[in-house]
This record gives sequence, structure tokens and C-alpha cells, in this order.
Amino acid sequence: MSEAAVTLGFWPAVARLLRLQALILFNGLRRASWRGRLGAVALAFLTLLIVAFVFAMGLALLSFLRSPQLAAALPGASELLASVPVLVMGGSFLVILITSFGVLLQALYLSGDMDFLLSAPIPVRAVFVSKLLQAILPNLGLVSLGALPLLFGLGVSGGYSGLYYPLVIVMLAALALAAAAMASLLVMAAVRVFPARHVAEVLGFAGALVSIVCSQSGQFARGAGVNRQQVAGLLRLVTSLDVSWSPLAWAGRGLVGIGEGRWLAGVGFSLLALGTAGLAFGLALVGAERLYYSGWAAMQGAARRKKAARAARRRAGLPLAAAGGRLLPPAVGAIVAKDWAVLRRDLRNLSQLVTPLVLGIVYTLMLVRAGAIPTDGGHGPAWATQALQGAMGYAGIGISLFVGWTLLARLAAMGFSQEGKSYWLLKAAPVSAGQLLAAKFLAAYLPSLAVSAVFVAIMALVGRGDPAPTAAWFSFAVVALCLAAADGIYLWFGVTGARFDWQDPRQMVSGATGCLGALVTGLALGLALALFAMPQIGLTLLGWPALAGELAGLVVGGAFCLACAVVPLRLVRERVPRLGEG
Amino acid sequence: MQTPTLIELEHLVKRFGDKVAVDDVSLEVRAGEILGFLGPNGAGKTTTIRMLVGLLQPTSGTVRVAGHDVQAQPLKAKAACGYVPDEPNLYAKLTGRELLRLVGDLYGLERAQAERRAEELLRLFDLSAAADDTFDSYSHGMRQKTALAAALVHDPRVLVLDEPTVGLDPKSARLIKDILRQMAERGAAVFLSTHILEIAEHMCDRIGIIDHGRLIAAGTMDELRALGEGERSLEDIFLALTGGAEYAEIAQVLR
Repeated sequence: MSEAAVTLGFWPAVARLLRLQALILFNGLRRASWRGRLGAVALAFLTLLIVAFVFAMGLALLSFLRSPQLAAALPGASELLASVPVLVMGGSFLVILITSFGVLLQALYLSGDMDFLLSAPIPVRAVFVSKLLQAILPNLGLVSLGALPLLFGLGVSGGYSGLYYPLVIVMLAALALAAAAMASLLVMAAVRVFPARHVAEVLGFAGALVSIVCSQSGQFARGAGVNRQQVAGLLRLVTSLDVSWSPLAWAGRGLVGIGEGRWLAGVGFSLLALGTAGLAFGLALVGAERLYYSGWAAMQGAARRKKAARAARRRAGLPLAAAGGRLLPPAVGAIVAKDWAVLRRDLRNLSQLVTPLVLGIVYTLMLVRAGAIPTDGGHGPAWATQALQGAMGYAGIGISLFVGWTLLARLAAMGFSQEGKSYWLLKAAPVSAGQLLAAKFLAAYLPSLAVSAVFVAIMALVGRGDPAPTAAWFSFAVVALCLAAADGIYLWFGVTGARFDWQDPRQMVSGATGCLGALVTGLALGLALALFAMPQIGLTLLGWPALAGELAGLVVGGAFCLACAVVPLRLVRERVPRLGEG
Repeated sequence: MQTPTLIELEHLVKRFGDKVAVDDVSLEVRAGEILGFLGPNGAGKTTTIRMLVGLLQPTSGTVRVAGHDVQAQPLKAKAACGYVPDEPNLYAKLTGRELLRLVGDLYGLERAQAERRAEELLRLFDLSAAADDTFDSYSHGMRQKTALAAALVHDPRVLVLDEPTVGLDPKSARLIKDILRQMAERGAAVFLSTHILEIAEHMCDRIGIIDHGRLIAAGTMDELRALGEGERSLEDIFLALTGGAEYAEIAQVLR
């Protein structure tokens, strides 16, 4: 036997593990398509632009905050300026703590390389440090995109000393290390209670929910007036974060002290902050690696209690399969029920499905807040009121359709891709292409129609739609037909762009397929709505009753929608048996 | 009376671009027969199996299962066939019981019959306790056993298995061997790909060896022995036919 194998020291081991990560990243880039490489270059360019933009905006804003006029108008401005580093450092720490949690969960429990690394003759601590750095570096990079230009802008606008700038980088890195080490402890605690995969799903769901709520909350804030008291309240809130006992505040105060040349306070606070960060990093790292190595987190306890109840529910089977089985061919009903069960149980899917609901609620509330339709004719001519009512009816249809359409985008476009590596089961079974397409069509159509129908009903109840008695039924019919059209088109894209080799549901559909699908269905729905509306407008102008216009609209628009629903499916029918052979 | 041929591969060819994965393979498996399909890694075993069960379209040649052309009458051919893949990828968020019911529905079984069959198979494979857990909590062996149970739900006349014993404990591996033998005794045709030569030697009625996409030998153990140069065991025959030079090289490196 050879004695060639030697035990690596701590730092050489960390260096080799990081080199391994760099090699994996480099290999990924080297093997990327030309489109992928161009995308990476464009992303790098965009990143530089963002940095420059944040720096310029930060500099302008901070210079504005230092102006004597503003200081006179807003007495708290100088305190706000002193609080900026505290705010930035605190925000960066929190962002890295939260994002590292997800990355470390993946790296420590779901990546599958820990057994290999821990069985290699390298120090356990080196494995942990490399994993922490792996978790920190991308997040620190992203946080630095906003934090560094802002803090450097503060330095430039305040004429800070040269020592301030390198200290900003050191302080950010130290806080990031401490945050990541603490995140690893949190991961251990979470995984002790819940299975790692489930924690990852919940995290994905929560992340998607928070991002969609944050992105849409601006819709409510828009137009709301901001008064002086509110600004002062905001300033008080920001400055209140600068509390003397917080290590994050020490970091900020140290930076400002060094920047302004108050050396004693600056050096003191900086050392305190760096020492605390180092201590937190060390303690958390040692704690986390010992707990991981002793298998502390692998013993889930609380999850077991709920397991029996869940199992009892599942034992009853897929209830919709039984219900659907009476109406549909058994294979079609079974696939529909299976799709719904899989979607419902995987929170990563649910996070994609919840988006249309949040959007729908936001836009419905906005429409409700916009004011009531004058049903008595108001002061304008009768034809104008009628036209307005018709337009509002279509606004209600539009929102209901939008919600269903967004849901369809996920359900239909990914109907085949969501089978993933399990597709062999359907492909090896005696299920025809027609049955498979029918199942996928229904699995996407029925939930979208149900959600849209709820919105149609809400619109009718809150009086946002056309007040005519038949209007709700007409709206429902229009929405149902339009969704069928969108379903057919989306399924066409879903079949032609199907991919089954994904690891994460977010990789199911390529960007091109998603964008093209949205574009084509959007155009088709616009045309369909025009075809529903035009006969109505024409016959109304000719003096015919509204019902005649609606019926004519349903015939013309409905024919177009049914064609959109059926023709794409006929076109891809021959392709379905060959799916998954790429 | 001659037993019917349930699996027929005729001049089967599969090309991926310039690479010929399967090159003019012809084989037959009769009712009541277990055929062991052997070959080195990358020889074309899985590609052949995927064409046999209708997962892959052959470049040329025909596959007939239970008398039905897999390309011309895919639904009839698939209905007669049960398949266990090399990787038991199953829907992570379905339970074992739900999967077996789904398979019952896909193969057109009556609901009550599918339920009864699912319960029998869960008990047989010692999966009853985990039957209501989702697959993401199953071990590899449990998934492998569930995949086999799924292949048996509709009591197929043709059973195709790609490395069915990988990752199984000895008890489960023995159970699978017993089931395959029973299936064959009841008149099913079993097409079994394996790397475990001991299984092939002791279980299979006939053996086919594929290398670089070509079927280089097929027959009973006695017929294969006659092909070689005095080798007695299947391992020796296999290494002699597929080239064992690299094994001597490995021994040299490890020395």
C-alpha cells in the first residue's frame, strides 16, 4: 500500500475546497452556450451600471441631505446621515443572515456532497468554512452592489478620510461572516424540527410570497400623499436603530468616527464591532460544526406527531380521482388528480401558483378603490353611460381573465415539464396522446376557471361589472372560452418546450418558451376579447337589444377561442409520443 | 404445443447522431422464459430496454410485445408490459399507495381491483407501514420495491426490468428473484438486465450479451459455454466475450 495520502492542514484544505467550487463554476461557464455566455457578459455590464447608478444616486441624495436649507427645514437630517452606516450595516447583516440560511440549508443538507467531504482526510472545520464562504460570497456580492456605493457615496459627500473606504469593506466582510455562521446554527435548529427538504420548500414559498407582496405593495402606496409628519416619523424610526448596545450600531459609529477623523471613538467602536463579529463567527462556527458532526439536526421530533394525521388523510386517496373517475376516462381522471396532488403538496409549486392570486386581489382592490360606476346615467348622454358600463364590464372580465391566465401560464405551460424524471411512468403506460393532452388541458383549465369564476362573482357583487342581469353569465362565458383558448396555446408551448431533466421546479420552462407563450396567448386573448365585444358594439349601435349583442359576441368570439383551444393541440398531438426522447 | 413468443426484437437499431447505441439486435423471449440481458457499461442495454417498452423510438427495426408492434400498436403493447427502470424516479409528492392506484387507473383496472392489488403488493414488498408516506421520504431500496410493485399492479404478461436489484438488501433481492421465477412459471416473459452475473447464471433460462451495441452472444448457459474456450462460469464467459484486458490493467494499478 502506498503512503502517498497525507492529511491537509486547515488553510490548504479550505483553499482546495474553494478551488474546487471555482472549478465547478468555471466549468459551468465554459460549457455554457453562446447565448448563456452573452447573457453573463450582459449581466456583468448591467451590474456595473447598477453600481454606478446607486453610487450617483446615493451621492446626490446624501449631498442633498447635507444641504443647509434641508437641515433648517428638517431638523433630524444630520442624525439621519449619521445613522446611514448603521442602517446599511444592519440591513446587510439581516439580508446575509436570511439569504445564507437558504444557501447553507442547500449546501449542508441537500447538496449531497457533505458525506464525501466529511469522509475525506481534511479538517471538518475546513469543510464548514468553505461551505460558509460558498454561502456568503454570492450574497455578499449582491449586498455589496447596494451597500458599497451607498457607503462610499456617504464618504465622498462627507469628505471622509481615506481609511474609511477599506474599513467599510472589512466591516461588511466581518459582519457577513458572523451572519453566515449564525445562519448555519439556525439551519441546524430548523432541520432538527423539520426535514431539510420541507424547510427548503417552505423557504421558497415564503420567499416568493414576500417578493410578490413587496413588488405589489407599491400599487397601494402609489398616489398616497406623504406629509411632513410622516417623513419625520420615518427619520425617527431610522435614527432609533442607532442604539448604543447594538454591535451593528458600533460598526456604523466606528465607520463614521474613522471617516470624520474622530479616531478614539472610531477605532474603539470599530474594534468592538470587529471583535464581536469575530467572536460570534467563531462560536457559531464551532457550535454548528459540532452539532452537524454529532448528527444533532438529523433527529426530527416534532414532525412525527403530524405524520399520522397526514397519513390518514392520504390513505383516503386522491378524492378528486374518485369524483373525476365518474365523469372522465379513468386514466385522464387519474392524471388530473395526480397533477393536482403533486402541485398542492410541493410548496415550491405553490409559491408559483400564489402569484396570480396576489395579483388578482391587488388589482381587484385597486379597481374597487377607483370608484363606482354611475348607473343612473349621471350627467352625460345615455350612449356614453352605456359605453362606460360596457367598458367596466370588460374591465371586470379583464381582471378575472388576467388571474386565470396567470395561473394557466404555470399550469399549462409546465403541464408536461412538471412530470420531470417521473415521466417514464406515463410514457410506458397505455395512455394515448389524446388522453394525455386532455388530462393536461383539464388539470390546467379547471383550477384557472374556478379562480376566474370567483373573481367574476366578486366583480358582480361589488358592482364593478356591467350591471345588466345577464352580464355576470356573459362575463363567465367569455372568461371560460378565453381561458380554453389560452390553455390550448400554452399547452402547445408546453409540449414543444417540454424538459424533464430539471432539479428544481423553477427550471421547468425555458425563458423563451415562457415569454413567447405569454406573448402569443396575450395577443390571442386580446383578439378574442375584441371579437366578443365588436358584435355587441355593432348591434347596440344598430339599436338591437343587449342580449342579441352578447349572443352574437359569444358566437364569434367563442368560435375563435375554441379554434385556439383545439388547433394547437391537434398540431402537437403527433409530438407527444416522442416526448422525453431528446 | 409451442409456447408463444412474447418479446420479439428484429434488427433493432438506434442511432444518436453519429453514435450507434444499438446495432442490429434481434432477440426473442418466449412465455415462461427469463432472459438475462448482460453487457458492460454503455453497451446499449438500457437503450434496448427503453425501445422495448416504448420509451424510445428505434431508428430502424421492430419490437413486438405480446404480438403487438410497439410502434404501430403502442397502447396494446404497453398494456401487456410492466417496466422497472434502472433509476426508480417516482413522483416525490405521491405516496406509495397513491402511486399504485394511479398505475391501476392508467392500466384500466377496476377501482376495487386496483385497490386490492395495491394492498397485496404493498404487503408483499413490506411497504404497508410506509404506504401513506410520500416518496421523498423513501430510501432507494423502498423506491425500487415500489417501482417493481407498480410494474406488477396490472399483472403483466411481459415484465422488463433494468437492474432491479441495485440498492436492495439481500431479503428484498431474494424476494424479487422469487417473484420473477413465479411470474415465469405462470407464463410471463421476463426480460432482465443485470450486472450481477450470479443472478443471471442461476435465474435466467437464456442469456443475451451485448457489447458496443451489438448482440455478441445469446443462448442458454450450455450454449454460451460452447461458444467460449473452456470457460465454465458466466463471469469468465462474459469477460472472454466482452474483453477482459482492462481488468488485468486494473490489478496492475492496484498492486
